[in-house]
Amino acid sequence: MAELRWPCRGNASTDRGRVRPTFAPVDFREIASLLRLELALDLRQRAAWGGMLLYVVSAVYVSFLAVKGGLGTATWNALYWIILLFAAFNALARSFQREEGGRQLYLYTLAHPRNVVLARALYNTVVMAVLSLLSLVCYLLFMGPEPLGGADVPQFLLAVVLGGTGMAAVLTLIAAIAARAGNGLGLMAILGFPIVLPMLLAVMRASKLALDGVAWSVNATYFGALLLLHLITITLAWLLFPYLWRD
Amino acid sequence: MKKLLTSLPAALVGMPLWAQAPGWVEDSLYRSGKINAVVVVVAVILVGLAVWMFRMDRRITAMERDRAKGS
Amino acid sequence: MKHWWWKLLGVLLLLGASVAALRVPLSPALVHVEPGRIAPGPVELTLTGYNTHFAQEGVKVFLENGGERLCATEVQVLSPTLVQARFDVPEGLRDHLSNVVVVDVTHGRLAIPGAVFTTGTGDGSGVESCAETLADAAPVKTFTFPNRNILYESIRNLCFHVPMWFAMIVLMAISVWKSVRALGSNDLDDDRAALHAVQVGLLFCGMGLVTGSIWARATWGTWWTNDVKLNGSAVTALIYLAYLVLRGSVQDPHKRARLAGIYNIFAFALLVMFLFVVPRLNAVDSLHPANGGNDGFGDLDLDDRLRTVFYPACMGWILMATWMYDLRLRAARLQERLER
Repeated sequence: MAELRWPCRGNASTDRGRVRPTFAPVDFREIASLLRLELALDLRQRAAWGGMLLYVVSAVYVSFLAVKGGLGTATWNALYWIILLFAAFNALARSFQREEGGRQLYLYTLAHPRNVVLARALYNTVVMAVLSLLSLVCYLLFMGPEPLGGADVPQFLLAVVLGGTGMAAVLTLIAAIAARAGNGLGLMAILGFPIVLPMLLAVMRASKLALDGVAWSVNATYFGALLLLHLITITLAWLLFPYLWRD
Repeated sequence: MKKLLTSLPAALVGMPLWAQAPGWVEDSLYRSGKINAVVVVVAVILVGLAVWMFRMDRRITAMERDRAKGS
Repeated sequence: MKHWWWKLLGVLLLLGASVAALRVPLSPALVHVEPGRIAPGPVELTLTGYNTHFAQEGVKVFLENGGERLCATEVQVLSPTLVQARFDVPEGLRDHLSNVVVVDVTHGRLAIPGAVFTTGTGDGSGVESCAETLADAAPVKTFTFPNRNILYESIRNLCFHVPMWFAMIVLMAISVWKSVRALGSNDLDDDRAALHAVQVGLLFCGMGLVTGSIWARATWGTWWTNDVKLNGSAVTALIYLAYLVLRGSVQDPHKRARLAGIYNIFAFALLVMFLFVVPRLNAVDSLHPANGGNDGFGDLDLDDRLRTVFYPACMGWILMATWMYDLRLRAARLQERLER
């Protein structure tokens, strides 16, 4: 692991655990190191990944048993997104619960909190992108790939990945808030659901349009809006995260 | 008065979707002049609300003044 | 009483606008045509007007189809709101739907677009406009509300239902501003202000949902529907209820202030995006006017006369809501000091 340096800009102080938010410019080397840290931690806890995938497989299997017959395209689409939504809550709730208070504070003496949240958000988006594609594979296996017949598959895949990463972008800060409040998954679901809902509606619409095989120009509004959403949420998380730690 | 107030949402709900040649044209609340009852009710409610808030404001201001004097 | 002037202004605006909203008459319009389907040949149409005052003489009735105008062969005014007209409908009309138009001196041109349906259409070659021209009568403009299809009298609800949302948005904006201040300073009073603003805002959100639901039942026939503005209002309610839950689950006041403040700011930013940006996208369909391809509220429904009642109503409700928040905040401050 590369040496992590605190980017002292004169204003930063860690007086008695007090972390004053500063507008330190984004330090890419630090973020890269933090990402490597996240990956290392995750590899050590491979069981967690297994847990996420098992959750998805179970949910898909239950849906398969419940539905059994052919689903209309709209329902097929909606069910996939619902399963992914809850899998996302599960996956992202852990991201800030891995360290308890003391260890997290230690981390913030080594790295600026803003870089920490950027690294976490980036890592979460990668995790969600992978998870959404894996869930899609699982879903196709059980629920049948018929709706993909008339679909614009690259568009659909883009919608799936954007939806997954969008959830990660939005839920990273929420997970941090819930972890800090001490209530974990339950509170995170309550806080996160109304915030994710608009994005979910947009991405459901986009993926449904992709399944209907519409042209790129029609769906472009949605993709543009989703990308904008990613940008806004990650910027907001970057701005607000340090305040979580001002004790 | 109370009956009118409780029947108002019911009347709104019960109104059909204007598909037929309307007989409601003649007996709508507006035409038959009953709208005046609604106007008076609404005015009474709003005036009552304003009076209550005005009195609450006076009470709070008095308490704040007492507080400032150091009671 | 502190700042009495804007409080009094709020009360007066609210009273005046509410009474006006209920008393101003609707503008005259044609509301119904019987029968709805016609065939070529002699046809007798009965037209019902609302708030019309048809005189016995001088009323002209036309059918407009495919750019051509058919005159009525005979017009009989049965009552100030009922007109009977006879037509000789030719064969081979161009469009399936014809507009029914009534012109007279008092009202000018009243029309129902696409009021009658014809099955047998052709290329419209045998149809000629009749000789009578529309009397270019400019009717006297009185102060009336627009008389829209589907809405009719319930357009008055505009001055009661929509201001709820305006008041809610203003209050949530106040709460976000206080949350930002609470994060910057360490003052718990800012956090208290944010909480009370959210509480009063939630009250108005609830009232908006209930009044909207009632209005929807009366006009669209259903208490709730999958419409983008309704989704937005549901999401708003859920977000601020979650805010209250978050506050309830943290005990330490300073920590609570920070966590709640962060959530408030984050959620408000995303909410603003969802409420104001997404409905404007043409890709989104909606039942509400001015969203998703429907004609803007600006030129059709919300004309100048309705606006002179609507804006004061909004202002009145915003001022009342702010007054409510102000009272609650001051009471909470006093209570907190008493408990110390």
